[in-house]
Amino acid sequence: MHKSPIDAGSNPAGAGAVLRGMALVCFAGSGLGFGYNALGLESRAGWGVPWIGHDRLAALTTEAVVGSNDGSGSSDPHVTQNSDPLAIPSGGPGAELPEIPALGRPVQIEVAAVKQYVDAAGALVIDAREAHEYDAGHVPGAINLPYDQVATDRQRLEQLDTGGRPIVIYCGGGSCELSLSLAWDLVYAGHDRIAVYMGGYPEWVDAGHPIVEGQTP
Amino acid sequence: MSALWLRSARVVRLCEIVTGVIFAWAGLSKIGDLAAFAVQIHNFRIMPVTLENLAAITLPWIEIVIALSLILGIRSRDAARTALALLVVFTLAVVSAVARGLDIECGCFGTADASHVGWLKIAENLGMIAVAFVAVLGPAPAADRVPGVGRLETGDART
Repeated sequence: MHKSPIDAGSNPAGAGAVLRGMALVCFAGSGLGFGYNALGLESRAGWGVPWIGHDRLAALTTEAVVGSNDGSGSSDPHVTQNSDPLAIPSGGPGAELPEIPALGRPVQIEVAAVKQYVDAAGALVIDAREAHEYDAGHVPGAINLPYDQVATDRQRLEQLDTGGRPIVIYCGGGSCELSLSLAWDLVYAGHDRIAVYMGGYPEWVDAGHPIVEGQTP
Repeated sequence: MSALWLRSARVVRLCEIVTGVIFAWAGLSKIGDLAAFAVQIHNFRIMPVTLENLAAITLPWIEIVIALSLILGIRSRDAARTALALLVVFTLAVVSAVARGLDIECGCFGTADASHVGWLKIAENLGMIAVAFVAVLGPAPAADRVPGVGRLETGDART
């Protein structure tokens, strides 16, 4: 119905010039978008989203997990005590856990904050990788929910018992498609306060943090 | 062209401005909350999760460049073609969402409107495609020109 040729009769210069012109428009727009987004990332949470680049692959939202160094436990995701909204406060062992806000969408979490949660058992940690990968080594306390198995098993996701805790999901690093997809499925299954650890298992190991071998207890 | 009035300079200009204003509105309303727009893109479930943020970052600004270009008349033919291409993609996205039975926010105008995908939205889009198509065609060339040559800029015509 709308399959009319785009350059019908009015463009003797050919498809090349048409595409170049369109590419120019897209390029200019993308440049502005990245520039604006970079400004947003520098200034405050709630403006701008992480984008593919460096090792910070494709987080889903703007709000990195916000620390509550002052112990107020603020639940407002837009309130941040940190100048860099993506930075995770390192916080000593005794520090209060960073807040994973309930936004109706997953947020990104960094290794330091994951370590705090693992140490305090303050979150349900989910390993989204295959069972054999999980058995070969995983983050202490993590349960295994291979994405390939649970994607079609909505009931299992809905009945997942988090014990009132937030959820931290990790996978094998990279673009972390498994974690992101599982995180969204959990959101659709009615869970909230879900953080995706993009660095995943490889980064956890590189950071020298402990691992556990064996199957789900 | 049979419908020559469609390619009169005034009609084309009007179509450019209408398309430009719609794109400006669409772009601006998305920029306000990129994270929400990223979620709206996700709900369509038509692209890899990893690329959704990238689309959320770039799309609104591409729309704004298109709008400025069309309204100010700078490289407006290129902008009109990009607009048309985007509209076709958007329409296909809505059609696929409707076909899959998804009841989701369109996200067409960010969070500024809560309109959901549906046949009405598809009809709207087809209307916008028609308007953008006129802008793509541009004014009819003067009679003494080879048919198919695009219009000259107004400045050139007066010299």
